[in-house]
Amino acid sequence: MRARDLVADYPVVSPDTPVLEAARLMAEQDLPGIIVRGDDQLTILPGTETLRLAVPRYIMDDPALSRVVDEGHADRFLGSLGNRTVREALPQERRELPVTDPDATVVELAALMARTRSPLVAIVEQGRLLGAVTLQALLDRMLET
Amino acid sequence: MTPLAWASAAVFLVAYALIATERIPRVAAALGGAGVMLLIHATDAQAAFFSEHSGIDWNVIFLLLGMMTIVGVLKETGVFEYLAIWAAKRARGRPFRLMVLLVLITAGASALLDNVTTVLLIAPVTFLVCERLAVSPVPFLIAEALASNIGGASTLVGDPPNIIIASRGGLSFNDFLIHMAPMVIVLVGVFVVLCWLMWGRRFRFDPERAAAVMLLDEKEAIADRRLLWQSLAVLALVLAAFVLHPVLHYSPSVVALLGAGVLVAATRVTARESLAAVEWPTLVFFAGLFVMVGALVHTGVIGQVSQAAVNATAGRMEVATMGLLGGSAVVSAIVDNIPYVATMSPIVEQLVAAHGGEPAQVLWWALAFGADLGGNATAVGAAANVVVLGIAARNGTPISFWEFTKYGLIVTVVTVTLVAPYLWFRYL
Repeated sequence: MRARDLVADYPVVSPDTPVLEAARLMAEQDLPGIIVRGDDQLTILPGTETLRLAVPRYIMDDPALSRVVDEGHADRFLGSLGNRTVREALPQERRELPVTDPDATVVELAALMARTRSPLVAIVEQGRLLGAVTLQALLDRMLET
Repeated sequence: MTPLAWASAAVFLVAYALIATERIPRVAAALGGAGVMLLIHATDAQAAFFSEHSGIDWNVIFLLLGMMTIVGVLKETGVFEYLAIWAAKRARGRPFRLMVLLVLITAGASALLDNVTTVLLIAPVTFLVCERLAVSPVPFLIAEALASNIGGASTLVGDPPNIIIASRGGLSFNDFLIHMAPMVIVLVGVFVVLCWLMWGRRFRFDPERAAAVMLLDEKEAIADRRLLWQSLAVLALVLAAFVLHPVLHYSPSVVALLGAGVLVAATRVTARESLAAVEWPTLVFFAGLFVMVGALVHTGVIGQVSQAAVNATAGRMEVATMGLLGGSAVVSAIVDNIPYVATMSPIVEQLVAAHGGEPAQVLWWALAFGADLGGNATAVGAAANVVVLGIAARNGTPISFWEFTKYGLIVTVVTVTLVAPYLWFRYL
């Protein structure tokens, strides 16, 4: 089995899309992350990375502070996202992207997901985005056989 | 001076300039300088590794290592977050009261911990509280950085320059408590007044916002009570051992290492976890600096400079003391005070000896006050200032170099000016 057998259409956003909109898309379609198509390359934004932007930086710096926030304020934490864009949520440092070609085997896909800690892999053929393989799809097919 | 002495002086100046301008990482500059010193035979392995006077000061390195390990465990306990939120609630959401309490906590904590750690612990919780109060965190952050540098001056372990000075000058923990701490307490009081003049009088109290602060639950910050009590007990033991040096005869480095060892042995924290908190690059930076300065001692450069300083101040202690205080403040305002103090310590050591030993100890206090307080003058003067600027930028409230320096300069001028009569009337 190869990536081309598992690939499915996947929503794509641009770096200028508001994070709140990307988050809504993920929630509505039950997606583990989102594909971001920039000017020159594709990036995957795992759902947990969008949280990084929603959680105030000082709480990311000091996890003990997440415990002292009262329930009322905690419930409203997504409000701090405001008009922030996906671009701000993208990781600053260069790292390996979970992107591969349609000929990749399931072991290649699994290894890529594990290595990049990404719940989805974008499948690209000669610069054209075919879609993505999600962790869910990969496990479903693997456990079936 | 011999050609080798000139060569070592040139290597030192280049490395120092690289450290000061941060063209390359300071660890690389210090190690590169040390490497070249060894390469040109300005020093050798025997001197670099085993000489107390011209090599790596292992007392300093191991004291830092021990304290970093203890602090690494202590900061996991959440005690600082607890204290800061408790303070905010005690202040009943009144911004200036909050600022005073945060300044006192920061100054007190940095007397025991290093200044960078203190601001790293206090800054995130400051953002949280300021957000609730809808006040800008900038004045609070600047005040905390300044308070950490003032508070750090009070004890042997409060600021790395003090550790170097203590080791070189053979000064004990109690010497710092007797000669530095009383004046630092006065300076903190004066600083609180300055805070009122610089920021406090413009703060506005909003009862609705204050109510939001009262909703924070500081008890939740403490995740592991057992670890908290264990850490505080070890910290208390370590402090007691520092103070009881005249009875116990353990040097501060040994006390800190034993404390770190007891903490790891007695708590659930593993050796690996506790060592992860150690800033290894800082320790390596110190080692490189010591080898470089040691080479200057070895080749006689320090001896020549010291002799010139002795001649210039012959019989005039007041000139030497005030010159050292003011000069150290100016240099530390511009460049990191750690390399400055590492370089000046062997010179001051010879000055103290030339001016009659014990009675000339005031020179060490002038160096310590000048270097510690001078760091407040600019945004790059002390590591804590740089760290605060970094945290502020990451949290979306950047503080410009000049905004910090504007306040830092006022505080430095006032504090150093107050230290001058203190040294004069007490020692000269």
